[in-house]
Amino acid sequence: MATKPDSVFRSLDRKAAAIVEFTLRQYRTRTSTWVVLGVGFTALALIFMIYIDVMGSEFESIDNDGDSFDEDGDGYPSGQERRLGTDPFSDESHPGMFDPPIEPEPASNYINEDGFDWDVTGSSGSDSTGYDNDGDCLNSNKTASQKDTNENGIPCDIIVQITTSPSGEIITKVIADAGVDEDPDEDAYSREATHLAFVLSIGKLGFVLLLGIFLPLFLATGLIRDEMTSGTMHFMLAKPVARSEIFLYRVLGYLGIVWPYIIALGILGALVSGFVGSGDDFFRFADLGVWLAIIFATMMATLVYGMLFNALGVLWKYGIILAIPFAAWELGMALLSMGAPDSTILRFSVIGWALMIVDSAAMMVWPNLDVFILMGEWGGGGQGSDIFGSSSLRGTVPLYFFSSKPGLGLSGFASSIVATLVLLVQAVVFWFIGGALFKGKEIQ
Amino acid sequence: MIPDFDQQGQAQTKEWTPDVQAPAILLENVSKSYGRIFALSNITLALNGGVTGILGMNGAGKSTLFNLLMGKIKVSQGSIKLFGTNPWKNPAPYARVGFVPEHEKMYDWMTAHGFVSTFARLNGLTRDEAGIEADRVLEFVGLTDVAFKKIGQFSKGMRQRVKIAHALVNDPELIILDEPLQGCDPLARTTIMNVIRELGKMGRTVLVSSHILQEIERITEQIVILHQGRLLALGNLHSIRERLDQIPHRISIEAENPKALAKDIIDIDEVFGISFPDGRNVSIQTHNLGAIHARLPKIIVENGHKISAIDNPDDDLASILGYLTNGGRV
Repeated sequence: MATKPDSVFRSLDRKAAAIVEFTLRQYRTRTSTWVVLGVGFTALALIFMIYIDVMGSEFESIDNDGDSFDEDGDGYPSGQERRLGTDPFSDESHPGMFDPPIEPEPASNYINEDGFDWDVTGSSGSDSTGYDNDGDCLNSNKTASQKDTNENGIPCDIIVQITTSPSGEIITKVIADAGVDEDPDEDAYSREATHLAFVLSIGKLGFVLLLGIFLPLFLATGLIRDEMTSGTMHFMLAKPVARSEIFLYRVLGYLGIVWPYIIALGILGALVSGFVGSGDDFFRFADLGVWLAIIFATMMATLVYGMLFNALGVLWKYGIILAIPFAAWELGMALLSMGAPDSTILRFSVIGWALMIVDSAAMMVWPNLDVFILMGEWGGGGQGSDIFGSSSLRGTVPLYFFSSKPGLGLSGFASSIVATLVLLVQAVVFWFIGGALFKGKEIQ
Repeated sequence: MIPDFDQQGQAQTKEWTPDVQAPAILLENVSKSYGRIFALSNITLALNGGVTGILGMNGAGKSTLFNLLMGKIKVSQGSIKLFGTNPWKNPAPYARVGFVPEHEKMYDWMTAHGFVSTFARLNGLTRDEAGIEADRVLEFVGLTDVAFKKIGQFSKGMRQRVKIAHALVNDPELIILDEPLQGCDPLARTTIMNVIRELGKMGRTVLVSSHILQEIERITEQIVILHQGRLLALGNLHSIRERLDQIPHRISIEAENPKALAKDIIDIDEVFGISFPDGRNVSIQTHNLGAIHARLPKIIVENGHKISAIDNPDDDLASILGYLTNGGRV
């Protein structure tokens, strides 16, 4: 047998390995483990099925600027008349009177005829962008002032203004010259927006919140408590291992089953959304960064909650009852983080920091997300394609809801590092508390 | 600082230096109270070497004493030392201790070998060493044949022996057994008693608790009697025991075929009465419990009787306690 240099550390990790292995095998023999993991998988699978269904369906094209109608009944769609310079509101003026006469085009040519051509990055300031694809702005019959209705001296463009008010609020404004990017392609935009919204919502709610809280709630609360209740704790306590070590190693054993499960589900999610998601490419490689962050954030959440719930289990026989208010608080914080990611109260939660990791990654991977949302909200500037009279395109509202800025005002990378460190500190604090509680506990 | 993933080779770590001068167990004026109820009051006791029986009725404080020794509960007053170290503050002395808890619940999904070797690793042994040690102790308690069977399939006696094996795996100097014979069949009793006697001969300090006098009597003469949390008597049992033989005793045996068993038992001279309280049990009456207990296992084995439980409903300890607390009147 090979002899290895020995140290206190070696002896410790022998004990750690024994307890971790033991804990893993114990989980494997319990039906409850498989039920919890199975329910988690089923819940996420259902959400993914909805996602696949939505992405597989056609997004209805809308004539955002209303120029596919033949207002004056002369057989020519308004858009064609406008482009060729005849009066769209008079049946005595139409391109059929030209020499040679021009045949009317089908109305469908005037739906989605002028899509987004924005190349601004979304940094603050005022930018000029956009291009008139269908030529109804660049029309040679128009005067220079008609071509520059936003009065910035550039004909047929769009002003995208992002300014910060003195109170720190970000104000965005889109001012377009008439007829520029006024009829975007709904299918292209909404498909992309829906995809992004789905990745963020599955990541934040499905993974970080649902898995992040429910796995530890059902799997970590009994790590010490169940052994105390059944009397089998005596075997472990009769060995030269400190109680706070047992506490830690049991949590490591729990992570040994929970982390691979999260990684497997995360990879599955990345594959499904990568293949099914919008875009011309075969696979959306860029999204992998966000999925990585989702997996990592969920792992961190299960670590912190694992320590916390295990400690609650040590504290009281019905630790799971103590854990429920925490779970409710965290659910509230998760929703708050989507609406108001700057709230100070979020700093007193676990989920706020975990979601910050996802938001940071989204900011890094999709740098144009803000402009993209702005685009959807503006939606061509037309009047009310939906019942609320808003011109925003389908998919914008959920994307707006589920995406948020990491609230620290730092760069994406910096805020993800800060969030990770905070979560680690939280885990260590809960370990100390749990270890101390366990150490002071009289076990009959 | 690379973790020892493969865990081969030998462990030599000693994280704790024991006080070689100190006795295995030292209690000084130890009291343990729950509110106003004293579970133990003012116990002073030093034990080192040999087998000691801790006798007491249910609730006398045996388990409280063991829980204190095993650092599971905290003393209310006084001081408790295991090899010179307070076990509530420091679990290090357990490197030299083996403990057999009273609780019946075990990890039924583990094999005997898996259970013993897993917990051996908590003593800092490598995986290799733990496997070898598990083989050794399972042979010592006579479970080599079933070492790789699940504990859930074991009888009570076998489970007790697995627990004892697990406690011996670190070659401890102090072994504490909480009611190791409770509910065991005669064969397992004999094996366990032999194991305990053997440990005593090896110079280990052994503590065995029981509420049945005859069990302890067959293992050791050095006893500690606890009654209502107080140390009632300490020393040799022999002299007290002689006087008690005049009282009639009963033994109750739960058997598959009680009538056939009774037929074989009636031949023992010391038996003066047999009755059948129900379809499953035989009740034997005798003046000499020791003689019956000595001959019973042989009769059962030779005639192939199937026994599921054996019990002394007349708690002789009650008689002893009566004798000790009432100034000699039985």
